[in-house]
Amino acid sequence: MSRAVRILLTQRIALLAVLIVAVVVTFFVNDAGGYLTAPYDFDYMSAALITAVPLAMLGLAEMLVILSGRGGIDLSVGAIVSLAGMVFGFAYGEWGWPLWLAILATAGFGALLGAVNGFLVSYIGFPALIATLATFYAYKSLAIVINDQQPISTEPIQELFSISRSVELPLFGEYVPDVPLGIFTFLLPTVVAVWVLLARTAYGRRLYAIGTNDVAARWAGLPVKDTRFKAYVYAGLISGLVAVVTVGQFASARPDAGVSGNGMALPAITIAVLGGVAITGGIGRVAGVVLATLLIVWLNAGILLAFVGNEGSQYQLLALGAVLVFAALLNGLTNRRYGGSAS
Amino acid sequence: MTAVAEAKIRKRVLPSPVTGQEVVLVGVIVVLWAALAVSTPAFLTAGSIQPLLVATAPVALIGVGMTIVIITGGIDVSVGGAIMVCSVLTAKALVEAEVGLAVAVLLSVAAGGLLGLVNGVLIAYGRVHAIIITFGTANLFMFLGLRIFGSGTVNGIPGTLAFFGRGPDGRTLGVPHAFLITVLLTAAAWWWLRHTAGGRHFFAIGGDAQAARLAGVRVQRRVLSAYVLTGLLVGLASCFVIAQGTSTLDQSVGAGKELAVIAAVVIGGTSIMGGRGSVLGTLLGALLVQSVASGVTQLGWRSQLSDLFVGIFIIVAVGADLLRARARRNR
Repeated sequence: MSRAVRILLTQRIALLAVLIVAVVVTFFVNDAGGYLTAPYDFDYMSAALITAVPLAMLGLAEMLVILSGRGGIDLSVGAIVSLAGMVFGFAYGEWGWPLWLAILATAGFGALLGAVNGFLVSYIGFPALIATLATFYAYKSLAIVINDQQPISTEPIQELFSISRSVELPLFGEYVPDVPLGIFTFLLPTVVAVWVLLARTAYGRRLYAIGTNDVAARWAGLPVKDTRFKAYVYAGLISGLVAVVTVGQFASARPDAGVSGNGMALPAITIAVLGGVAITGGIGRVAGVVLATLLIVWLNAGILLAFVGNEGSQYQLLALGAVLVFAALLNGLTNRRYGGSAS
Repeated sequence: MTAVAEAKIRKRVLPSPVTGQEVVLVGVIVVLWAALAVSTPAFLTAGSIQPLLVATAPVALIGVGMTIVIITGGIDVSVGGAIMVCSVLTAKALVEAEVGLAVAVLLSVAAGGLLGLVNGVLIAYGRVHAIIITFGTANLFMFLGLRIFGSGTVNGIPGTLAFFGRGPDGRTLGVPHAFLITVLLTAAAWWWLRHTAGGRHFFAIGGDAQAARLAGVRVQRRVLSAYVLTGLLVGLASCFVIAQGTSTLDQSVGAGKELAVIAAVVIGGTSIMGGRGSVLGTLLGALLVQSVASGVTQLGWRSQLSDLFVGIFIIVAVGADLLRARARRNR
């Protein structure tokens, strides 16, 4: 028994899995009791996954920079989404580039914006919070000024909306719900790529090493600056891809897509931390971030049905905040009680 | 020990009253104002400078608390949400209970202090990094604020708080009260941080919390007090925000203010790593950011362009600090 409790407390992935089951069961019970405004079933859960695409991708982007250690964080991801989205709008919507080239250019542009962050943080030595705060302001401003505050929603852009539709899976598709296309075109490739990068390449091992102890890593002869720089480039690259997804979802390249309201950086950092990424660097797994995203997405989807009108979106804030504070306090507790790190 | 030697030691213990960063900031602001005065004659008039000072006040005032928080090695990204809670609560009290000026200010400050207490307790005793806790409480505060809003906006706010506003009621001898209060509180905080043991403790904690604890500093209580102080100042600043606005308060109040405050603090030369900083610099940083925003508008440029300059200022200010630190190490 105590062993089970210990696993639950120290293994973030086990805890998240239990929480997801608890959330889903809770809403199924509520649904059966008729307390929800619409049915909470597998079809609804599957449709809700469309919101998981940008969230999980940016969560993975944050994970890469947080892993790199020395206070790594990226406040600018939302602003990169805005600015890269505008570039995509120009390339695909105005200049008529082929889609694959426009996506490639947008991802490359995102990587370039991430490289500015990485250069400032890794080679000049700016604290990551400051450097990305500065670029957040700069990119946000440029995204709005670049097209005189106007969104781009020409015909090709509007037709892009089709990438956020749901599709029937081949072979066994008729037995399971339709799944949003963005899951396969953007999310899964990113998840697999980041997992391979972290778990199956020398770069991944170096990233964990410099995040755990960058002085030791330097004495071991690792290229610390180069490794940290690349983490920010990859984060920018993923943000560039998210920009394409976002333009598709809105059917319009909006200059404030990634920064309106609370922006995208805050939820992304929340997802990463909730997924067990240690803010001090060196600890974190892809599976944790993916499970944290599923937890938040399905929780939010249920909350939306449990309340009438805009109360639902308000209670989503409560849920996100409460879950984050709870997870953070739990991390502190397990670190003290079991000495180890919660991974 | 002779008086001369004692004076020498004193000099070494206390940092210089004005840092290099502050001198540079004063220079930059003077140059900027001069340039704006030349290019737009309307800039150096009371009608332009007074609103500039009023608009600087809320960010600079919260910046005092944020500076102390950052000196202890923490950060508070929940001030945007806290502003929303305090201002909607106060606005509702003004409209529905028709409370007076003193009650409104007390209510707002008390609410802010309570929110700061929540942050402080979680950070000081939960032993979790401040940025994570305050990301979490930012969401909780926004939830609270939106619940108080109910749906839509708060309308018909009476002019009870005009004492802090942009109008003629908000000025004495041409100086806006909001700015005056901010300057006085900044000066008090400057003296407190520099000349009292309690103030020095914040620097000790930011330099090395473990060493500070061994030296007898009650670290947890000190850290807690920094967040409570920030909350109290958020409460007062929220009154400024209501007074500056129209008679309608909408749900976007406070959004993004946490980053504006942090920007002012780091432009002012406070180290985000803790242990070093000054509230005077923060006031100047806030004034610089607001001057740029005002200048961009008066030059007829797109107002969002001022954010680009804020980003550049952060890079330049912190970059200069990094170079100085490197020079110190090499000496």
